[in-house]
Order: sequence, then C-alpha cells, then structure tokens
Amino acid sequence: MPGRLVAAVLRCYPARWRSRHGDEAAELAEFLIRDGTPARAVALSYLCGAARERLAGRPSRRVAAALLVAAGSLGAPLTLLSAGPAAGAAHVSRAPAGRTGTRTARPGTHGERCTARPDRASGARPAAARPGVPRAAISGTGRRHGQGC
Amino acid sequence: MTDADVLRRAGDASVLILTSLADGPKHGYALIQDVSQFAGVRLGPGTLYGALDRLERLGLIEALPAQDRRHPYRITAPGVAALRAHLDSVERVSAVGRLRLGVAGA
Repeated sequence: MPGRLVAAVLRCYPARWRSRHGDEAAELAEFLIRDGTPARAVALSYLCGAARERLAGRPSRRVAAALLVAAGSLGAPLTLLSAGPAAGAAHVSRAPAGRTGTRTARPGTHGERCTARPDRASGARPAAARPGVPRAAISGTGRRHGQGC
Repeated sequence: MTDADVLRRAGDASVLILTSLADGPKHGYALIQDVSQFAGVRLGPGTLYGALDRLERLGLIEALPAQDRRHPYRITAPGVAALRAHLDSVERVSAVGRLRLGVAGA
C-alpha cells in the first residue's frame, strides 16, 4: 500500500524526470519507509517536488494547479511549492536535538504548517471577528507571516 | 555576501548537498543519511531531487554512471569554488554576528 501511494505520486512527475530519476526515486522511497519515514511524508515530499517540477518546466497549468490543490489539501504550505530558493530552504526539517538522523521530515511540522489561527499568546481574536475592522483590510493581502497560505 | 556567491539564492538544501559531496561522490539515499548526520536535518526526497537537478543545471555537480538504479553525484570544480565562496561569505556574517553579540571567540 505505501509503495502504491508513492508510485502513484511519482507518476505526477513529467516523463522526462521519471525516465531520469524514476527508478532511483522509487528505491529511495523504499529505503526511507523501511527506515521509519511515514509513507505519507515521502509521498507528500514527492508531490511537492512534482508540482515544483511542473511549474519550473513548461508548465501545464491544469496539471500544476491540480497538484497544488492536492498538496495543499494534504497540509503542504504553498510557499514550499515555489521554485525559488525559499522552497529549498524551507523544505528541510531540523531533527530534534539528540536524535539526529532518526526523525523523518514531516511536511507540516516544525513551523512548516500553514495555519490561520488567532494569536493565542496575546488572546487576540481574528480580525474577521473584531468589530470595526473593514473586510477589505483582512482579505488576501493582509496576512501576517505564518498565518496563511 | 558577494556576487561570487552563487549559492546565496540556491537554498539550504543545495548548500547541504554540496557540503556532503565535498568528501566524495554519493547517491540520493547516502546524501540524505549524511546530511542528517552532520547537519541534523532530514532532506525530503522531493526536495533532494529538485536541488540535485538545480545544482546539475548550474554545473556545480555532475552525475556519474548509474550503479544499478542509483545515480551517484560528484561535486565539480565550479561547485567546489561556489561552496568555498559561500562558506567564506557565511563565515564573515557569522563573525560579525558573534562580535555584535559579544560571543567569545569572535
């Protein structure tokens, strides 16, 4: 079952990529899953990679959009899917202290998850719930760092 | 940072991969294991292949003939120069940061 999930995700990559890396990527997934990495995390990483690959090459907008929606629905922040350097920088997860090499990258953890939550520390309510805040001020562009995709 | 630092915008994964390849060729799984050991970060496989392709396009690494299904990669001379320039650049920033923080050894 895990192998089927990863195999299905690997089919999302362009044929050119699959002919170059496909076999090795499948083998690598086997090793990582055998080492204890959740198959879902491996699949999600490949799914994000496939979206980036589609966006970086000759983008088929429909395919790329579908992959973005799929990855987003699995909890991947959209910033990770961009082809820029920030993606490479963000898509590594730090192993907990004293446990190097034993924990797997789980997209959506270690600050990667993209959630829109009120600031619990300050007790602030979301802008939408505050009276007197114009809706235009809270839609789209008004997001604060780490609060939205 | 200087303009010679081509890794400035390449992302952490690229720097980690080049650092790992600096002591010899490795394939994907060995790269993930090595980076996990020396940096304490676990590269996702999708990130790994994206970074490998990017570095290869930049001419900083090259693929060696496949062994079974695995493609080992090795760092090229421009890759060594790029890594050295980037590390120098990071070191300068680190020194300034330590100095300003009053950390001993700066």
